[in-house]
Amino acid sequence: MISLISAEIYKIRKQSKTLYALAAILIIEGFVIVSAYYQGAGIIDLLLDNLKDSFEFKGNLLNGNLIIYLILNSLWFHIPLILMIIISGFLTSEYKDKTIETVMLQPVSKLNFILSKYVVSIAFTIFIVLLLAVSTFLVSYWIFGRGDLVVYLDGLNFFKSDDAFNRLILAFLSGVNSMVFFSVVSLTLAVILKDATKTWIVSAIFLICSNLLLKIDFQNEILNELFFSKLTDSWQYFFYYKIPYATIYFKNLLLLSYTILVMLIGVIIFKRRDIQG
Amino acid sequence: MKKLCFIFMFLISAGLISAQEIDNDLLQIKMRMDSIKSFNAQIKLDVDISFINMPTKYGKVRYKQGEATKVTSDDFIMLPKRGLDLTLNEIFEHPFITVNRGEANYNGVVCKVINIIPTTSKSDFSIATLFMDTKAKRIVQSEISTKTEGVFTAYLAYQNYVDALPSAVEVQFAVNSVKIPLRFLGKETEVDRNAIKQEGSKTGKIFLTLTDFQIEK
Repeated sequence: MISLISAEIYKIRKQSKTLYALAAILIIEGFVIVSAYYQGAGIIDLLLDNLKDSFEFKGNLLNGNLIIYLILNSLWFHIPLILMIIISGFLTSEYKDKTIETVMLQPVSKLNFILSKYVVSIAFTIFIVLLLAVSTFLVSYWIFGRGDLVVYLDGLNFFKSDDAFNRLILAFLSGVNSMVFFSVVSLTLAVILKDATKTWIVSAIFLICSNLLLKIDFQNEILNELFFSKLTDSWQYFFYYKIPYATIYFKNLLLLSYTILVMLIGVIIFKRRDIQG
Repeated sequence: MKKLCFIFMFLISAGLISAQEIDNDLLQIKMRMDSIKSFNAQIKLDVDISFINMPTKYGKVRYKQGEATKVTSDDFIMLPKRGLDLTLNEIFEHPFITVNRGEANYNGVVCKVINIIPTTSKSDFSIATLFMDTKAKRIVQSEISTKTEGVFTAYLAYQNYVDALPSAVEVQFAVNSVKIPLRFLGKETEVDRNAIKQEGSKTGKIFLTLTDFQIEK
């Protein structure tokens, strides 16, 4: 198993598409930072517009913490999209190049092979989100400095700089869980569809539908609480003034259960199916 | 004839108004405040507005005679546009007349109540009501109706009977609910837009606690 994982990591490192993915993510991050800067000024203006009559404001709210928060809001569509394309390619490229058949001629169990794919996919996702978090914090703080964060969630919430930093870190960590879910879904889709283009299309549709369903009220408490698409925004809960930890734990654990379930489906299908592409 | 009577009455009333003097107790308080050349103090700010969650903020307040009171902080702070005029400089900036409104009880203290009516359009308030503790020579409550920013009511509390500067100020004002930029919302489904529309104007409060005064007279 460990040698399989090492082999998968080696493949990822050698594949040029990994570099393209990293470059794409960093380019998107750059664009988002620029747009967040311009968006941020307008948002602060709108948020504080009604308070300007009664208050004078001292201090700068258009700082690194707000930029990171806006980046967080923007990235949860772009990043899973790229991750889903790259990660599904981990398997579809094997089908396309028929290398999977070569691997299967070796004394390698199908279970270990597909499990190593999932393990490496999860590790790759975590690595990408952490890279994204570190680069976002460094760039935002370097350019815009630190300061209090203002967020509109159940009212206007102001967080002191240190508190905002901790919440943003926790939001990224919670976001890892959502990203892992989408990555695992894309790999399972790759198991089912085998073909790269079909997998990309279905993955993109899945992601778009998840984002749309997240915003739809099902008028049913159970669906609103338990449906997978409602679980991918746990990171937002860190920006309520009083963090609802119980809800966050519940949502993350349930999403993790969905991730394991999707992975199990992928493993079962892969094991039962003929490996020919 | 009616027209002439009206003009006559108007001239008499105008003459009466211009003849009114500034309340002597207010002048006494102003003189006391003017004896303070400068002061520095630590300030603690707490905001009480239903749709705002903000932690307690800390800063420093600095006043120098002839200059506006300045508040500085390492954090982002929101200061009420009125209520920080502890030395009455803003009220005395432009000419005004005072009208005695009698006495009122404020926290067990019998206070003299006066109206301040600006006599120039340059003033940014249309009327102010001051509750003066004439024995302690200080203001305990003020209500300022500004021309563009609404009404600000300040309640001033003092640590002891002799202090000229308050140790706590509560400022009340009307504030409108926040307009919500939809793109900024992370969880749009949970916004009750109807409730927000109905909220309209609300009373906001800000509590200022002043400590460690360093006063230069």
